[in-house]
Amino acid sequence: MAYRWGMAIDIDKCTGCEACVVACHAENNIPTVSPQQASRGRAMHWLRVERYYEGHFPDVRVKFRPVLCQQCDNAPCEAVCPTYAAHHNEDGLNAQVYNRCIGTRYCANACTYNVRFFNFFNPEWPKPLQLQLNPDVSVREVGVMEKCTFCVQRIKAAKIAAKAENREVADGTLQPACAQACPTSAIVFGNLNDPNSRVARLARSPRGSRLLEDLGAEPKITYLAKQPWHERDLA
Amino acid sequence: MSAIYGLYADPNIAQRAVNNLRALGVADADITVISSEPFEHFEFGHRDAKTAMPWIAAGAGLAGLGLTYWLLGASQRSWPLVTAGMPVVPLWTNLIIIFEMTMLSAILATVITLVVTAFVGQRGKLYDPEVSDGYILVGVEHPPDAAKLEPALTIDGGRVKHAS
Amino acid sequence: MNRTLTKPFTDDMVRPVMSTTVWFWAILLATGTVVACGAAAWAYQLWYGIGVSGKRWPGFWALYLTNFVFWIGISHAGTLISAILRLVNAGWRRPVTRVAEVITVFALMIGAMFPIIHLGRPWLAFWLFPYPSAREIWPNFRSPLAWDFFAINTYLTGSLLFLLLPMIPDFATIRDRATGWRKSVYRTLAFGWRGTTTQWNRLESAMQIMAIAILPVAVSVHTIVSFDFSMANVPMWHSTIFGPYFVAGAIFSGIAALIIAMAALRKALHLEKYLQPLHFENLGKLLLLMSILWAYFVFNERLTVWYGNEHHEMAVFWATQRGQYAPFYWTMVVCNFLVPMLLLTNPYTRTITGCVIASFGVVVGMWLERFLIVVPSLAHKALPYSWGTYTPTPVELYIMAATFAAMILLYTLFAKFVPIIAIWEMKAGDFAHGAGQGVGAGDPHRIDTTPVSTEAAS
Repeated sequence: MAYRWGMAIDIDKCTGCEACVVACHAENNIPTVSPQQASRGRAMHWLRVERYYEGHFPDVRVKFRPVLCQQCDNAPCEAVCPTYAAHHNEDGLNAQVYNRCIGTRYCANACTYNVRFFNFFNPEWPKPLQLQLNPDVSVREVGVMEKCTFCVQRIKAAKIAAKAENREVADGTLQPACAQACPTSAIVFGNLNDPNSRVARLARSPRGSRLLEDLGAEPKITYLAKQPWHERDLA
Repeated sequence: MSAIYGLYADPNIAQRAVNNLRALGVADADITVISSEPFEHFEFGHRDAKTAMPWIAAGAGLAGLGLTYWLLGASQRSWPLVTAGMPVVPLWTNLIIIFEMTMLSAILATVITLVVTAFVGQRGKLYDPEVSDGYILVGVEHPPDAAKLEPALTIDGGRVKHAS
Repeated sequence: MNRTLTKPFTDDMVRPVMSTTVWFWAILLATGTVVACGAAAWAYQLWYGIGVSGKRWPGFWALYLTNFVFWIGISHAGTLISAILRLVNAGWRRPVTRVAEVITVFALMIGAMFPIIHLGRPWLAFWLFPYPSAREIWPNFRSPLAWDFFAINTYLTGSLLFLLLPMIPDFATIRDRATGWRKSVYRTLAFGWRGTTTQWNRLESAMQIMAIAILPVAVSVHTIVSFDFSMANVPMWHSTIFGPYFVAGAIFSGIAALIIAMAALRKALHLEKYLQPLHFENLGKLLLLMSILWAYFVFNERLTVWYGNEHHEMAVFWATQRGQYAPFYWTMVVCNFLVPMLLLTNPYTRTITGCVIASFGVVVGMWLERFLIVVPSLAHKALPYSWGTYTPTPVELYIMAATFAAMILLYTLFAKFVPIIAIWEMKAGDFAHGAGQGVGAGDPHRIDTTPVSTEAAS
């Protein structure tokens, strides 16, 4: 069976703790930047938690929405890369090939969700942070675009192990770093092609919606949130 | 290289000199007319204007079109990478590159034809620097009988010179 | 050309080539310094990374792309003048063609630098060349940037040849008058040109074919540059009007650059007799026409956006119209539309000075237009959480200043080595109208020695 990796993020469960962000940084060797560079918009958070405030004090509600690469099926970023650094792989992932990237940054401009990041400088890890680098993930040099890969290194490892044992990757055994770190299990990852997987069932949930769906990029991440009409119409 | 030629300030007189040479039996291909500007409105200026250059340009354009069409399809099929929802060999976007390469082929073929027909083999042929001052040179290279041609060229203010 | 004017005209054209004034060296020094500063800034950027520029998330394209589109736009000057006017046989183009074609070639060369300057890894730019590079993967021909590569290179090759070929007869003229080292240089450059009727016929045929070929290429080049924007689903980029809009804007800025260049050359090389107020008048009328056309396209685009009231696009719309980019927007409207309307509709202000003032305004206005296309849209994409602003850094400004200096430098060098008005084209112009209409081959059996009255010849 061909895999089609997808995710379901439950916004009602997300507490905004950003453990997923830290885990992503740790797993994928994402460089940190100085506060000065961060104020100039150079911070590279492959996964960011967007915070929206609703209402006025004292009736304020906060909504947290983790935004990461939506691995769109109709990705606007893929067609515009002149060197095929961004393309669709057979698992339905939006692959980013660092070695092929010459840094035109067209993909980042085309990305509807602004989830692509650019290495403006050569990354540095002041000692002893370099000890924490993940050997399974490459370190990108200056001039290269990068973004969330759904922890493709973990996907590849799981597929290789499964193939060695002549089976499919079992649902729930493979998790990207963000899903693994989330304390409320708000992030669910799995194979959308398997109708019985958790993520496929959540994707069919009436609480589910996709980000900027009307723009037609066909994102594969379903956000689960209780909508006001749920209380009105389903009560 | 021996030659006899006349220098004229007026293209009308140059035209008469050319007619005179023809009347004496000199073949058109042997009559050399050199000037510092093109005289298209005079007969001597457009007597050898027929050229296959437009056909060569069109043919080269077609060749470029075909070659690019094939190359794009072959290279895209060699590594069929999916990008967004687009087909692996999309005709619409390929047309843009095919168009550019067609025009480039036509332009390059035109220039190569020009170089081959106009610039190659000019060494050692008849020339007089006075042409740059605006005079028109009408003459014959390697004339079998220079003395016979001289009266035809000595008309109305033209200066006749011999080259050796 | 009238026989009595030919020699003084040729002298006037050849004099800048033969003699050098102190101004030449002064301009060289000044522009050379600025270019060197820009080169140093670029080297600094190559060493430390694109981070030294002002680009940031989410606005990954800014000043370099603005300048890229701007210079490619300026390069449309030559094509309009040389190709279109040549094809419709407009005689007043003759003193202007080479000035325009030189702008095209140098503006293209400068514009084509920017895709390399803005790359994250410019040392790999050659991967855009159509060959199987890493693991035999060819470039992605579906990407507008790959189309850019082909379009700009085709246009550059075509324009370069279109410029170089008619220069050869003029090189021959200089070769005949020069002495010393100049003679050997120009003899090589003249490629053995003699000026036989065959050579003239072939040259004219080639120029005609190339004029026909280069027109669609020019239109396609700026359309393809516009595709860099319209192919992305970014608010106020994803517009079908971008193709014609950019081409019209390019011709608009090209004519403005041409007027400025002509006025500068007229002053510097004392070409008052040849670049006459008539030429500026005609170009001024063209500039006015393009200004109205540009305004029509802008109105079209903005009315559609405003009427649709789609909130992603309206964010960008209001940002340019009333928000932080409003000063740039309204300056652009004044420079591109109001000033040309005021100065160029009135024949009394459509003088050389009036045209030059309007042209400077247009150059500024068109640069602002490119900036307003690139930056506000990227700053306000679909997700408001990821909106951002852009501020240029000194590195980008030095490089930008260096490109303007480079244009002046290259132009000065060119005018030093090549006559800036095509000598043979000017001479041919006189006979195209009037005397000498189709003088025939005469009686092939009669030697005609009757004197011809000289009045008929002039």
